[in-house]
Amino acid sequence: MISERLRKVILTDLKLEDMELTDSTTAPQVPGWDSLAHVGLIAAIEKEYGIRFKTLEIIRLKNVGDLQAAVDKKTAERR
Amino acid sequence: MTPSIPPHSSHTTLWERWVSHAQRNPDGQAVIHYVAGETPRVWSWQAIIERAARYAAALKQAGVRPGHVCATVLRHHPEFYPLYMGIEAAGAIPAVLAYPNARLHPDKFRDGLAGIARNSGLDFILTQRELEENVRPLATGSASSVRDILFPLDWNDEGNLPPAPTLPHPNVDASAPCLLQHSSGTTGLQKAIMLSHAAVLEHVTRYGHAIALTESDRVISWLPLYHDMGLIAAFHLPLAFGIPTIQIDPFEWVMAPVLLLDAIASEKATLSWLPNFAYNLMADRIRDEDLEGIRLDGLRMLINCSEPIRAASHEKFLRRFAPLGLRASALGGCYAMAETTFAVTQTHADSAPAVLDASRSALAAGRFEAPSPGESVMRCASSGAVISGCEVRVADEHGLDLPENKVGEIFIRSVSMFGGYRNNPEKTAQVLKDGWYASGDYGFSHNSQLYVIGRKKDIIIVAGKNLYPEDIEDAVGHVDGVIPGRVVAFGSEDDSAGTEQVCIVAETSRDQAPQRKALRRAIVEAGMAIDVTIARVYLAPPRWLIKSSSGKPSRSANRDRAASELKPEGTA
Repeated sequence: MISERLRKVILTDLKLEDMELTDSTTAPQVPGWDSLAHVGLIAAIEKEYGIRFKTLEIIRLKNVGDLQAAVDKKTAERR
Repeated sequence: MTPSIPPHSSHTTLWERWVSHAQRNPDGQAVIHYVAGETPRVWSWQAIIERAARYAAALKQAGVRPGHVCATVLRHHPEFYPLYMGIEAAGAIPAVLAYPNARLHPDKFRDGLAGIARNSGLDFILTQRELEENVRPLATGSASSVRDILFPLDWNDEGNLPPAPTLPHPNVDASAPCLLQHSSGTTGLQKAIMLSHAAVLEHVTRYGHAIALTESDRVISWLPLYHDMGLIAAFHLPLAFGIPTIQIDPFEWVMAPVLLLDAIASEKATLSWLPNFAYNLMADRIRDEDLEGIRLDGLRMLINCSEPIRAASHEKFLRRFAPLGLRASALGGCYAMAETTFAVTQTHADSAPAVLDASRSALAAGRFEAPSPGESVMRCASSGAVISGCEVRVADEHGLDLPENKVGEIFIRSVSMFGGYRNNPEKTAQVLKDGWYASGDYGFSHNSQLYVIGRKKDIIIVAGKNLYPEDIEDAVGHVDGVIPGRVVAFGSEDDSAGTEQVCIVAETSRDQAPQRKALRRAIVEAGMAIDVTIARVYLAPPRWLIKSSSGKPSRSANRDRAASELKPEGTA
């Protein structure tokens, strides 16, 4: 399940008004989410949640579900 | 200081050159395959030559003969390098093609590959099982030149990778082709450039001197090997000189740009080539905490190439990374193209590119002049001086030579010039006249330095990748709601990213907001299907686009008109 908060950060950063994102959505399916935009999007997510990903964590993400899981894990660690 | 490496003119083919390194320096590092988070896989010269010899034997068993073109469509993989060398050892001709990005529609990929196969005359396609279903049909059609599809990553010690007790000999001479490169694009209409062993060896020798290459240099690159900068500068150059090359996965680098700096520090790399956008991306996107422990003191040259050099990008990069030991003099620049094997000009190894402030209005009128106070200024970074073996002239529209400080088209003659586009005499005749290659780029020379400021062709260069507006217009022209043929695509400067972005003007009769929103989205998705990110969409009413004398919509006129009269559509 993709949280509304994560969905909103992604859509805002990519300047998309509305789009359904599921666990299995991959970046190439989302307009504007290319490899160059990816780095900026990760930075926006980090800012929103006050978290920091490690390089390897970013590289290994396969879909939005992985991204949600990584965000959840980081925010849980911070608590 | 280590003396620079003397030319090895006695070797006639790449393979013979490589074998000589294995004999002289068997334990020396040839290729370091870098993967984030893993121990790098190091190929010594002896190991890589032995492995390549076995690939050559396996390729021969599979029917590959001297002169056959073997296209590779493979992901970043440690077996790629000995396989590539094995193709050379078999006397065949490697052609590295891009592995399809997940964004690229499978049908577009197959059609593009079929076009390349047809136009370039590919004999074998060496790829991965994941692509088998899509690629297999290419080998069956009677019109296809493709003899077979091979899956070399499946070959192993137990099965069909036979031992090679003696070293193979390619059985070709120096004038024989040693590789086939393609211009970028996805349509299958890419121009194919064939280069000979002599051209490549001659070129890298001369270019090596231009950058004062020494035996202690270590090259590092995240560049794709289907691009001339990755293939010639970061792969063939170090292999020909017998110095190590560290190869990073382009997909990994773009997701985590710090990888390059990390690997420069850990692998003690001294030389790298980058397109301009990479300077901005690394300066803007790498976080301070990821830089801990990274030092760049050992970096001798970072060479900016394949997009126009933007002085602001160098300044930004230097400000950010000077505290890590990066020296201003390490930032270099180069003007290069696949048609001349690679480099035409290069900045001096020990100094940053000269930067000139030029009056924009004077440049528009065809000459360089220092700006008067208050005048609009274009900062022009030098691409360096002409390297040995190359000649450059700047000429007017009649082909007449222009003096220094006059802007014109750049023409090049080189000892390592390509022989023409393969199977394409018309395109060849358009650009190659009396031994001079018409680059289509505009620039001027000043104090013997070349300044490249624009181009005649409408190519859009996004992040080092050449995009052809025709391809994008064709894809967008098929979108339901766009008036067929009434589309232009052009590039617009994106200063913050240090590159260009793709803009579209499309005519439509839709005037309701929801319909226009859906249309914008469909246009962006049509770009995605050919792996092009469309940053801005302008929708115009019917008969809005200005036509050129040829009857087609003019890109430059419509770009200017769109900027002044239209607003880009909001996002869908």
